[in-house]
This record gives sequence, C-alpha cells and structure tokens, in this order.
Amino acid sequence: MAHELNFLFVNIVNGLVYGSFLLLTSLGLSLVFGLGRVVNFAHGAFYALGGYVLISVMRVGAGFWLALAVVPVVLTGIGLALEAGLIRRLRKRPEVDTLLATFGLSAMLVGGIEYLWGTSTTIVKPPLGFEGIVQVLSNDFPIYRFAAAGLSLLMAAGVLAIVQWTPLGLRIRAIADDAEMAEAIGVDRSRLLWQVFGYAAGLAGFAGALGAPIFAVHPEMGLSILIDSFLVVVLGGLGSLKGSTIGAAVVSVTKAVGGAYLADWSTALLFLIVASVLVARPTGIFATGRIA
Amino acid sequence: MTLTSSTIGTAASGRTSALVTIGVGALALAAILAAPWLAKPFTITLLTEAFVLAIWAMSLNLLSGHAGLLSFGHAAGFGLGGYAAGYFAREVSADVILSLLFAEAVVFIVAALAGAVAIRLSGVAFSIVSLCIAQVLYQVAIAWRAVTEGMDGLLGVPLPRLFGATIKNGAPFYILVSVVMMATLAGLALVLKSPFGATLRAIRTNDIRAASIGIDVRLHKWLAFVISWMLAGLAGGLMVFLKAGTTPMSLHWSESGNVLIMTIFGGLGTIVGPVLGAVCFVFLHDVLTSTLAIWQFVFGLIFVVVVIAFPSGLAGLPAQFGKLRWRFSR
Repeated sequence: MAHELNFLFVNIVNGLVYGSFLLLTSLGLSLVFGLGRVVNFAHGAFYALGGYVLISVMRVGAGFWLALAVVPVVLTGIGLALEAGLIRRLRKRPEVDTLLATFGLSAMLVGGIEYLWGTSTTIVKPPLGFEGIVQVLSNDFPIYRFAAAGLSLLMAAGVLAIVQWTPLGLRIRAIADDAEMAEAIGVDRSRLLWQVFGYAAGLAGFAGALGAPIFAVHPEMGLSILIDSFLVVVLGGLGSLKGSTIGAAVVSVTKAVGGAYLADWSTALLFLIVASVLVARPTGIFATGRIA
Repeated sequence: MTLTSSTIGTAASGRTSALVTIGVGALALAAILAAPWLAKPFTITLLTEAFVLAIWAMSLNLLSGHAGLLSFGHAAGFGLGGYAAGYFAREVSADVILSLLFAEAVVFIVAALAGAVAIRLSGVAFSIVSLCIAQVLYQVAIAWRAVTEGMDGLLGVPLPRLFGATIKNGAPFYILVSVVMMATLAGLALVLKSPFGATLRAIRTNDIRAASIGIDVRLHKWLAFVISWMLAGLAGGLMVFLKAGTTPMSLHWSESGNVLIMTIFGGLGTIVGPVLGAVCFVFLHDVLTSTLAIWQFVFGLIFVVVVIAFPSGLAGLPAQFGKLRWRFSR
C-alpha cells in the first residue's frame, strides 16, 4: 500500500514538473488566440527552436544561464518577423485559415531545424551546481527538475501579473474583451497583436530551452507539447488564462498518473476527456462567451 | 447591368464548359486506362498510390470543402479502414470485395458514433475534436496489441483476390484502383450536383439561415461526416493491399496533415481538385525526397503559399486568373 502510494506520488510530481512547462506554452497559445483569433500550430516549433538556439549559443562558448537568457530574445525576434511577414496577412480570414497557414509554417520550421541541426537527439547537461539529486520522501529527484519547474512557474506568474497589472496588460485585456471598443478609444490593435505574438514565441522558446536538460532536444520535441497545449487551451477555454492554468495541471497529471497505470491507453483517455468537455461546453470550461 | 452581362456570360459559357469538361474527362479516362502500356512500372506504382490518396482527398473535400467542417484528423477513417480490411484479408479471406465491405462496416459504426459527437461543434473546435478522435484511434492502434500488433503494425497482408483470381501488383491492381477512383469521382460529382450537395453548401455558407429555412443541419452534417469517413476507409482499405500492411502511422496526425495539403493544394470545395492535388503530392514527394533533404520545408512552404495566395487551389486557378483578367479589362 505504502509502495503504491509512493509510486503515485512520484508520478504526480513528475507530471507537475511537465505541467509547469506546459503552462508556459499554453499561456502563449491562449493569448495569441484570445487577441488575434490566431490558432498557432507553429507554437511547438518555437518551443523546439528554443532548445536549438540554446545549444548553438552554448557551443559558441556561453554558459547555460546566459544562453537561457538569449533564447527568448532571439525567439521574440523570430516571432515578430513571422507575424509581420505572414500571420498579419490572415487577419481578415476565418480562424481555420490561420490553423492551416501555421501548420505549414510549423513544417517549414521543423524542416529547417532538421536541415540546420540534423535529426539526432541532443542531450543538454544541467548547469553547474544543479547536477545533484534531492531526496523527497526517500525518492531521488534531480535537483534541476525542481529548479526548472520553479523558474517556469515564476515566469508564468510573471505573465499573469503583466496581463493583470501593467498598462500593456490593460490593453491586452481591453482588446480581448471588446476589440472594436478598445480600438475606438485608441488602442493600436495591430501593433499589440504583433507584440503579443512575438512575446508568446519568446515564452515558448524559453520553455524549450529551460526544459532541454530534462526532456533533451530533438526536432519533433515541439509537436507533442503542442498537442498537449492545444488540449490544455481548449479544456480551459481558448483565450482564458485562468482556464489554461487549471488545464495545464489537469492534462499533465492525467498524463502522468494515467501513463503509470494504463500505459499506452492513457493518452486515449485524455483525448476522450477533452472531446467530452468540448461537446458539453464548446467554449471550454472557463471561457466567457466573448473571449472564446 | 453587371449582373445581367455576367449571367449571360455564364449561360453561354455553361454549354461550352460542359463540352470542355466532357472532352477533357474522356481524354483523361483514356490516358488513365492506357497508362500501364505507356508508362514505366515505377510510374504505375506511383500513380496507383496517387489514385488511392485521391479517393482519400476527395472524401476530405466532401467534409471540409463542401460541408465546411475542417477536419484535422482525417487519418482516422483512412487508418481504421486500412486496419479493418488488412485484418480481415489476413485472418478471414483476401477477397477484395469482402475485405472492403468488412472495413466499411467497421468504419460506419465508428464514424456514426464519432460523428454524432463531433458535428455538434463547428469551426476550430471541430478541427481540434476531429484531431482528438484520430489521436484516440492512433493510441488504440498502438495499445491494442492483440489485434493491431502495436507499433510493429499489421504486416503480411496477402495480395487481394477478386472472384477467386489473385490481383497482382502493378498493372492489374492499378486498373482496379483507377476504376474505383473514377467511380468515386463520378459519384461525388453527381452527389454534389444533387440537392444534397446544394444543402451542404447552404450549411457551409450559413448554418443558422440554413436551419431557419427548414434544413436539418445536424442530420446533413452527420451524413457528410459518415460518408466522408467511409470513403476514407475505402481508400485506407485499398492502401493496405497496395502496401501489404499498415502501421499506427497511418492514423497519425501528420497523415491528416498530408491529406489536408493534397486537398487544399488541389482545391478545397472543387470537384477534381483533390485528384490533381493527390497526383501532384505523390510525384512532387517522389522527386523532392530523392533530390532534396528538406522535403518537409518545401511541403510547409507550398502549404503556406497556397493558403495565403491561392485559397481555391490548382483547380481554382483558372477562375482566379479569369477574375483578375476581368478586373483588368474593366
């Protein structure tokens, strides 16, 4: 009995660590949809690019932490450029067109990654001082796992705080709430969508880089977290940040605990849960009618 | 004024375009059936695959182009049909008609249930739920080892038999696939010209107004969903005979992406577009993967350019350029 409880505990902890990364990618996905109605299928590719930019910056000689700080800057730049060059052209099109175009964009980015960095898996060592093991209830966990999860939760809290308490966040909420009214009182919607798309890409890249020592880096790494982020976002309600937070916890723990007991069937269970929630509430659990 | 002249224009060009369609159709038919005597065996293999994929792309076009439900999980019906036909052919009988009938029965049952759930949604929510449904089937194909043999896949499917005779790979199977593909094309063209097709387009254009003039929107969406899955299952069943087996990858969402690009590249909402798209896809894929290491990049680039610049695809190009010329000549 004690052994079984311990097994459950380990899986829940690992699930929540994954969930903290999932939260970072989901927040960006949700913001971009809530503001611009862009269903960004390329979000997972930004996550993967984050891992690869980290590796390249470290190869040049930078330490892990410096490289980790460079990644979101580079990815924000890439996101801003792609929004200005591509996503912007889809503003007047139906939502599904953004899904299709970003699906193509995702294939381009992953193809580009394979061309530039190859298709093999790269293992990134945890930074100095975080290589050790920590014991929790006589289970061994790598220290880095907790440090990284803590940092990504801090980042997520930062994003929520920015949306809630800063002038930028005020404009974001205004556009999400009533775009026409917000524009009428002088919010530059186009510019805001551009910025938020860039920041979301930076956030996804940061998550990919921060997770590199835990999950390793390979070209397809963004695809599975993308699908999970979609589940999180539709479960919580597209555009609802509170929904994304709860959704990330539900999805990651279901995956981890289900995976421990049901093996390959667990993902099927997760998809069934999400499909049933969507059918019962097509806007997701927390979305108010207006935002999603 | 504009309205009258354009109406006359359509009426006059209607007869010409019908003649052109018949002429081009007859030529294409002759070329397709004569191909085994004209082309290299490898080209025939590629064409066989292209025509199987064309059936699949046409099935997606019915659901997404005409009924307006953009499926992001159209590998579901295809992969399911493949597994069912392959399992039946291996364990019971390799008769192609019986195997395909069994596959259609299985696909019908799953599609009837999945469709009843999915058609309650529209727009992006439908896309994501259809992706979810396909991923559930993908996971089941991996997990249900007793039937599907897990990640290894269902291998060793025998050559198909028709009326007791074995259909060899190459020309004989190509002819079978061509006939099925052209029958599907003709059948879908008739269906889409029928009131049923008009009803689907009415729903796609505006489902609330369609409902208000008395159309049972859910019933028609469900019918489109089930027919679409069953055609996809037919394609999957033929593919399992062509490849002598199938793996869970046939249900993976990247396959759903492949069929989407074929359909969109050919022309979503047209009639022959998906066939053109599938043929282009197979031959482009063959040329590019053997000469370029960056097939995926090119694939993505084509996708982006088509969605942004040519939303009606290859089959819509003449109309798109026609509109441009008309605009310039004014």
